[in-house]
Amino acid sequence: MRVTDAMIYGNAVRDGGAAKSRLEAAIGPASTGVRVVHPGDDPAAAGLATQVASVFSRAGSIGSGAQAAADELGVADTAFNDVTNALARVTELATQFGSAGYTAAQRASAADEVATLKKQILSALNTTAEGRYVMGGTLDGQPPFDAAGNYLGDANVRQVEVAPGVWQAASVRADVAVKGVGGGIDILAMLDTLQTDLRANNQAGVAAALTPLSAATDQVATARASIGLSMNAFDTAVTSSRAVATDAQTRASHLLEADAIEANTRLAQAQLALQATLTATSQGFKLTLLNYLSS
Amino acid sequence: MTDLLAILNQSATSLSAQQALAATASHNIQNASTPGYSRQTAVLQTTLPADQVGGAWIGRGAQLQTVVQSRDRFLEAQIPAQLGLSAQSAATSAQLASVSALDPVASNGLGSALDGFYAAIRAMSQNPSDPGLRLAAVSSASTLARSFQSTRSSLEATRSGADAAVAADLQQANSLAAQVADLNGQIRTARGSGAPPNDLLDARQKAVDELAKLTGVSPVPTSDGDVSLFLPGGAALVSGVNASTLATRPDPANAGHLAVTLTGPNGQVQAFSGIGGAVGGALAARDGALKDAVDGLDTLAWDLGATVNAIHQAGFGLDGTTGDALFTVGAATAGAAGAIAVNAVLAADPRRLAAAGAATSPTSAAPGDVTALQALLATETTALSGGLSAQDGLARITSDFGVAARAASSLADHDAAMHDNLLTLRESASGVSIDEELIALQKAQRGYQAISRVIQTSSAMLDTLMSLKT
Repeated sequence: MRVTDAMIYGNAVRDGGAAKSRLEAAIGPASTGVRVVHPGDDPAAAGLATQVASVFSRAGSIGSGAQAAADELGVADTAFNDVTNALARVTELATQFGSAGYTAAQRASAADEVATLKKQILSALNTTAEGRYVMGGTLDGQPPFDAAGNYLGDANVRQVEVAPGVWQAASVRADVAVKGVGGGIDILAMLDTLQTDLRANNQAGVAAALTPLSAATDQVATARASIGLSMNAFDTAVTSSRAVATDAQTRASHLLEADAIEANTRLAQAQLALQATLTATSQGFKLTLLNYLSS
Repeated sequence: MTDLLAILNQSATSLSAQQALAATASHNIQNASTPGYSRQTAVLQTTLPADQVGGAWIGRGAQLQTVVQSRDRFLEAQIPAQLGLSAQSAATSAQLASVSALDPVASNGLGSALDGFYAAIRAMSQNPSDPGLRLAAVSSASTLARSFQSTRSSLEATRSGADAAVAADLQQANSLAAQVADLNGQIRTARGSGAPPNDLLDARQKAVDELAKLTGVSPVPTSDGDVSLFLPGGAALVSGVNASTLATRPDPANAGHLAVTLTGPNGQVQAFSGIGGAVGGALAARDGALKDAVDGLDTLAWDLGATVNAIHQAGFGLDGTTGDALFTVGAATAGAAGAIAVNAVLAADPRRLAAAGAATSPTSAAPGDVTALQALLATETTALSGGLSAQDGLARITSDFGVAARAASSLADHDAAMHDNLLTLRESASGVSIDEELIALQKAQRGYQAISRVIQTSSAMLDTLMSLKT
């Protein structure tokens, strides 16, 4: 091929420019660690990265919500624990004063203690978490029980997402657990009855309260078991959300980030190629007849 | 009959021929860096007829026959088309590479806004009566709407940038078309003298090349030495000494973006779509991948808005209100991503954000009721009317744009390589080698010196002859 001076200089500009362009392209991943900046760098990875980022975000928010729900259920469980303890004391009182040998005054004193225990139970049932009453179903803006023991909440159970589209109960129905809706025992009414029997010095009536007290304790235990199951589900959701988020982060890293060794190898290659291009170009410039004619 | 005076006369002609050789080499050297210049060669010929002396013919020296250009017509016929293709793919690639609105690593992009919206709704579902969470949910909806707007606006700005590039390129193209028509006329006139007007031919070829880069014109030589230029759609841009004019006008059917018109020498204006080169490349990017991305965003915003609104309108706010749309998205799919905004009523009063599935009274809903929010969250992963979820739809838009940008980049690299190869071959055939020209110059100098010696010798012989007579 016939070689002209314009070709020599044109090739120098083009080859040098191409080598510099490759060097610039190699510097990006090596310095930032990012392989895909524009969608055109890797269209499939760019699209997938959008979806993976969504999975990461979703896992994070689901995990956060599940953790909050678990914490809230913990508050409810503490409340029911207080109820259980109160019922245990009531059972002791019923056992004691259902026996012979106690005076009316002593039973009246026991009735006072039962009244106090009922107030403690009501206080526990009206507990709040993050400013919300956890026992009122979805009517969580007001105390679910009034001073007389009437249930003011609704029959709904709050739901929290534990996986995309999968919802888990995040509260227990206090109307079922405490008021016995659906065939159980109305614990608060039973306490009222017990108080009445104690004040009336009705030994037989007090003794008869032991059976429903046992059932009430079982009823509360069932509610706590339900809470435990839900808490377990939320703990699992938190764990699996973390796993999903970690997996998504790893996938995003594989999709978008540059392999450090490969990036630095490419950078070294590009630097070497540019040096070689510049050296060859400068040598080519010297090979002209002008240099010999002028000497 | 050849005599000493004739030898002197012939030598003078031959000296002129050697001067022409030197002048041509000098012209070549001086134009070694001139783009589009084709090296020239002075062609000498023996002066005819030879003198007959007795029975023999004695030559009369040499004279300049012509100066020709070194051009490869086969290569030159391919170059304008390749220049047009190369400029077209480079322009398309450059337009698409300038877009950063869909970059996957952008921290405040539409994808993260979409994720943020659903994360805020999910957080609110945990405690729907919390005023802070309600405000955060409305705020995230606003962020999502603004992100749709800014992403669309960024893409539209690139499309408008393409309009500006097209308008500027067409101005330059009109100037070049007028030059080619004018040069056609000058070349016609110059050809009347019989010799090829080499430098005018170079100037025309250069203008044709530049015009091919801008518009993708194809040159068609005519029998009278003109070059007519035809746009890829078949319309004539230059016909002989007449040039048409390219212009732009806003196209209402394309959101006011510029359409190209062609005004013929007779003043007739016609709209046409067949244009290549850098102008065609910019238009291809503007009305191809960029428009697809804008349309995709509009469809996504419209579908998401409609789906979310349908659920929200069926739900109930904390204050028992119902029927509110969460987003306003305009009246049609077209432009929805630019028009989407959070319903001003909800922005002013986040209590109206519908979380509940039912009201407990005309002025209230159960504060913990998240039935509507559950349905809203379901839209995160379920298909919208377009068949994909919002995130999958956005991923599709990003991937499709990436595929188009990558294809344009690959095509641009390929076309540039083809273009470089052809230009290298043309340079090899037509370019100036300083070494060659220096040798030619030395050769002419040696010839000139030798002929001078002939004159000197002839003169000495004449002197001898004259001294005999005295």
